[in-house]
Amino acid sequence: MHALYDLAVGPLAWLAFAVFILGSIYRLMSMRALALKKDAAFVAYISWPHAIRSLLHWVTPFGALGWRENPGVTIVTFLFHICLFVAPLFLMGHIVLFDTFHGWSWPALPDGVADTLSIVVVAACAYFLWRRLSVPEVRFVTRSHDWLVLALVGATFLTGVLAYHRIGDNLFMTTLHVLCGEAMLVAIPFTRLSHMLFGFFSRGYIASEFGSVRFAKDW
Amino acid sequence: MKRLPFTRLLLPALAVLLLTASGAFAQQDMTHVPTEAFKKLTRPPAAFAHDAHNEKAGLTDCTACHHGEKDGKRDPASDTAGIPCADCHAVAAKAGKTPLERAFHLQCMGCHLTQKKGPVTCGDCHKPAAK
Repeated sequence: MHALYDLAVGPLAWLAFAVFILGSIYRLMSMRALALKKDAAFVAYISWPHAIRSLLHWVTPFGALGWRENPGVTIVTFLFHICLFVAPLFLMGHIVLFDTFHGWSWPALPDGVADTLSIVVVAACAYFLWRRLSVPEVRFVTRSHDWLVLALVGATFLTGVLAYHRIGDNLFMTTLHVLCGEAMLVAIPFTRLSHMLFGFFSRGYIASEFGSVRFAKDW
Repeated sequence: MKRLPFTRLLLPALAVLLLTASGAFAQQDMTHVPTEAFKKLTRPPAAFAHDAHNEKAGLTDCTACHHGEKDGKRDPASDTAGIPCADCHAVAAKAGKTPLERAFHLQCMGCHLTQKKGPVTCGDCHKPAAK
């Protein structure tokens, strides 16, 4: 188990970061090339002012009609995404690994706060799971990729919470947590998690079409 | 002189006090990595019974941990046993120096990873005190 942990926090971590960063660049560049080749006329209509105005509405809770339709989903979605980024980036355990082996350090959240944020992510994953199983219109559009990404995120945060609370064998739980996190990073460019990369562009395009062609709001 | 009896009494008393106090911090009684230098603890102190650890690990060479420094690098040739780690490793170290927390983490985790033995995760060292 020591050897696996060593591999997971060492070479596999760098591999995961490399695949995530290089894969993301590759996906963005190839999507740009495809858009220019197939839809050059549409690309010409991209308008930054419309895109930015629309994005500002969509990143504000209840700032768009779509967010007002289903308040419960809106609240969980915002909480989920904020906690998903804040908890791991400012988690002491993660910073300590960088500090110990590379001498890089930055401010950490108090353990209790990070723990609460992580539990929020796990709870949100449970809610999304329930929605995909029980709400017919959501179930209808659910594909295998959706189960995969939900499982990756849910497992990463659940094992993190369990390891922090020292539930189960700590070396096993921590190793499992690191491996799940790495799988999640690698999955970002190549699964539906790529909405992290493309979401802003899709919204920007829709906003441009609505703004400069239809003269309408898209929020 | 009137002050003489006072000195005569006080000095042995101080000596006894110091000996008792140092006894409490002696390595054979050590249960945790010393944390006095840290202003605030964010996790429970890392469990570490000095003598039991070394017996289990088969460690007889003190410099395996109590190393010195030469040209800004770790010097395994000089034995610094008895000198508190925090004397050289300041909690807020200057650039190029190893701060205390990193020194502890590197010392324990680094060796345990190389030896493939001993705790390496957060929760296996930083355990709440047994009730």
